[in-house]
Amino acid sequence: MLSVLAAGALLVSSCRKDPLKDMTAEESRIYVTNYDEEADFSSYKTFSIVDSVAVISNRQGAAKELTAYDQALLTNLKSSMQSRGYTLVDKSAKPDLAMNVTRIDNTTTQVGYDPGYWAGWPGYWDTGYWGYPGWNYWFPSYYTVFQYNEKSVAVDLVDLKNAASHGNQLTAIWNAQLRGTGVWNGNNLDSMLKAVFDQSQYLKTSN
Amino acid sequence: MKSIKTIILVLIGSLGVSGAFAQSSRPPLSLNLNYSIAQPLGSLSDYAKNTSFRGWQIGLQYALNDRLALGLKTGFSDFYERVPRAVYPGKGEDVSAMQTHTLQTIPILATVQYTLASPEARVMPYAGLGVGTANMNYEKYWGEFVEKENKWAFQVSPELGVNVPFGKYSPVMLNANVQYNYAPFKVNEISNFNSIQANIGVKFHIQ
Repeated sequence: MLSVLAAGALLVSSCRKDPLKDMTAEESRIYVTNYDEEADFSSYKTFSIVDSVAVISNRQGAAKELTAYDQALLTNLKSSMQSRGYTLVDKSAKPDLAMNVTRIDNTTTQVGYDPGYWAGWPGYWDTGYWGYPGWNYWFPSYYTVFQYNEKSVAVDLVDLKNAASHGNQLTAIWNAQLRGTGVWNGNNLDSMLKAVFDQSQYLKTSN
Repeated sequence: MKSIKTIILVLIGSLGVSGAFAQSSRPPLSLNLNYSIAQPLGSLSDYAKNTSFRGWQIGLQYALNDRLALGLKTGFSDFYERVPRAVYPGKGEDVSAMQTHTLQTIPILATVQYTLASPEARVMPYAGLGVGTANMNYEKYWGEFVEKENKWAFQVSPELGVNVPFGKYSPVMLNANVQYNYAPFKVNEISNFNSIQANIGVKFHIQ
């Protein structure tokens, strides 16, 4: 009886067409953007971006890194934001928006997680970096995310302009996640970030 | 009206008579092994439109008499469609992904079958009905990330087919049939499970 069941199980699994088998790295990747539907993106004029990339992992200690990939990532993000009309300023010049950039190397196979969970991990950008020591980050609950267990990149755009009215919380108003095979490969940066900004047409300021 | 009643009475009577002569021609217990091709219909087709060529069916039947048989059957079908990269908008969210839509189904049905010819016939047409449950395994891939939902649903499957014995009174027959499947299965874009399925295989009367 058991051998019949085993043979049956084998038949079932071998009959199935495996979606991952013929998938290219490009096809495996997904680009997710979340935005605050209440936010008026044109009301922000200036932005600043972190000077390196936070690397978060559940296997090894957290670090801030600035590899060639990280430099290319930051450069691309700066020019993409500038092309939407935002002015890049130093973080000391009271920017309206702060951009946090994180690489996540997570090997758990959890099937779901709270959005913005990476903001609570050691190694993520401390709110003190943006001049708000002791504050927390706040990711609105309508941010939805997919299950995953691989390397990814998260870009979080945080509202500093209205920080005072949000009670010790820096609210994320936009977030982009790059997931799948090859997201940490510099050759893929341009196409990935183009997709992210193309699908975020609302992300622009008025001059 | 009276004549219809008479016909029904005669039919019931003849069932009883042939029941008395049960097991006269072939051993009552038979095994069915079929290869299956299934065409999705309705919302299932909108989800994954490709014909499933990855299917099979296995069944056991016990003949109460030369006409009427009761049984159990199970099987497998795998529906699949790949959708090129697109941006999928959600609430406060946009996801760029190539999607792979898949659904695997394993029905377990109790069957009743009525043969429309005598056991000496060279071609034995029949009508059948299967009622039971089906395991529906919905897996929608966003890139390489899977959104899963596994559910059991009620299923009903009427069937029309023929058995062609390999020689008069042969216990081995060629079986070909067409079956319609309906299950009230609702997940995301699928509002009902509908498919039409062709099965071809052999039927052995074993004991």
